[in-house]
Amino acid sequence: MANSVKLEIITPSKLFYRGDVELVIVTTLEGDEGFMAGHSWACKLLDIGELWIQEAGAAPDDFRVAALAGGFIDVKDSIIIYTDAVEWSSDIDMERVLSEKAKAEDWLVQHESHADPNDVMKAKIAISKSAIRSSVAEGGHRHKR
Amino acid sequence: MAAESMQDIKRRIKSVTSTEHITNAMKLVSAGKLRKAKAIFEKTNENSHYITHTIAEIFNSSQDIPQGYLLGNREIKTTCYIVVTSCRGLCGGFNSNILKEAQREIDADWEEPVIFAIGTKAKEYFEKRNYKIYDDYLAPPENISFLETREMSRPIIEMYNRGEIDEVVLIYTSFISSMEQEVRNVTLLPFEIERDPEIMRNAKPVEYEPSVEAVFNYLIPKYVEMMIYAAVVESATCEHAARRMAMENATDNAREMLDKLSLNYNRARQAAITDEIIEIVAGSEAQN
Repeated sequence: MANSVKLEIITPSKLFYRGDVELVIVTTLEGDEGFMAGHSWACKLLDIGELWIQEAGAAPDDFRVAALAGGFIDVKDSIIIYTDAVEWSSDIDMERVLSEKAKAEDWLVQHESHADPNDVMKAKIAISKSAIRSSVAEGGHRHKR
Repeated sequence: MAAESMQDIKRRIKSVTSTEHITNAMKLVSAGKLRKAKAIFEKTNENSHYITHTIAEIFNSSQDIPQGYLLGNREIKTTCYIVVTSCRGLCGGFNSNILKEAQREIDADWEEPVIFAIGTKAKEYFEKRNYKIYDDYLAPPENISFLETREMSRPIIEMYNRGEIDEVVLIYTSFISSMEQEVRNVTLLPFEIERDPEIMRNAKPVEYEPSVEAVFNYLIPKYVEMMIYAAVVESATCEHAARRMAMENATDNAREMLDKLSLNYNRARQAAITDEIIEIVAGSEAQN
């Protein structure tokens, strides 16, 4: 059994996850990155992306998947992830995701040329969040391959 | 005299009784809201303290923080005060305590302050005194979401970065217990770093990605957002606690008054009866 490391995932309103994991994979701004026990200390920003956790003692291909709305990861002797929002794949409401995505896309088609750049950014972020959530709900991009 | 004052007392009893009903109902409502707010507050408090604490720890253990956010980097001229009050009254000294503290802070400051009002009470107070209110948030604080605090704190950080404000002070009520709340002011920006020698010694090189600057440019606004969010949630809890206390006192006072009034009423009634008996006796004696 590989070494495990303590992982905590915190959002402003709750402690989302606390437990020992063997491997955690997140999307940093530079791309997907995995962290295991004994990683050198790091402090990295996370992009909107998928979160993969292999819990201590789980089978090698047994991952828990969640959608993560950006944040940052603090790797020291334990790993802490801060994020504004995170959702397990099983909790994602597909209908809501799709309707939100459609709404943001419609808005963008109509307003992109003349809207406030901040609002355009927001719509684009909303779309990429929905895309990640729908991908996570289907088991994540690693499973599709 | 007796009959009239009996009427009067009766009328007063009626009005005090209905006041007592109202304050008692408000007390029960606040108690329920307090319970709900407290649950949210405790959950948030644990996490936000954790986050702010860790962020502070990262700041303390790192030598690479952009200088712009550190204390002593520039002269402090304009201060931005974020004043967290409630939107409704009838909560005892809750709002006046905060506003008094805010006013004291502002008076101690030479430059014209920039005020960011959360809750209608702060807005009304400073508007009446002709202060410049930069922005406000007026919805009831108990259902504020983290997203909204983010929208609120963004302009503050942008102003700080542009140099329009040099200090950000948060004034809010901190929750000690249901019976006790305390006004607190916290300086959010610039940062004062306590160089903890122990942390320094333990520090190993840390990888920052994409760059140190990017990480801190993300973390510092986040810290401010978290602090504001936590303060608003905490203040909402305090508001309910303060209102519950105020209403409890009001109900107690009303009951005390009712006791006195009903005593007076009974006395007046007895006096009236005695008068009547005397009249009857006097009348029958006169007939004999």
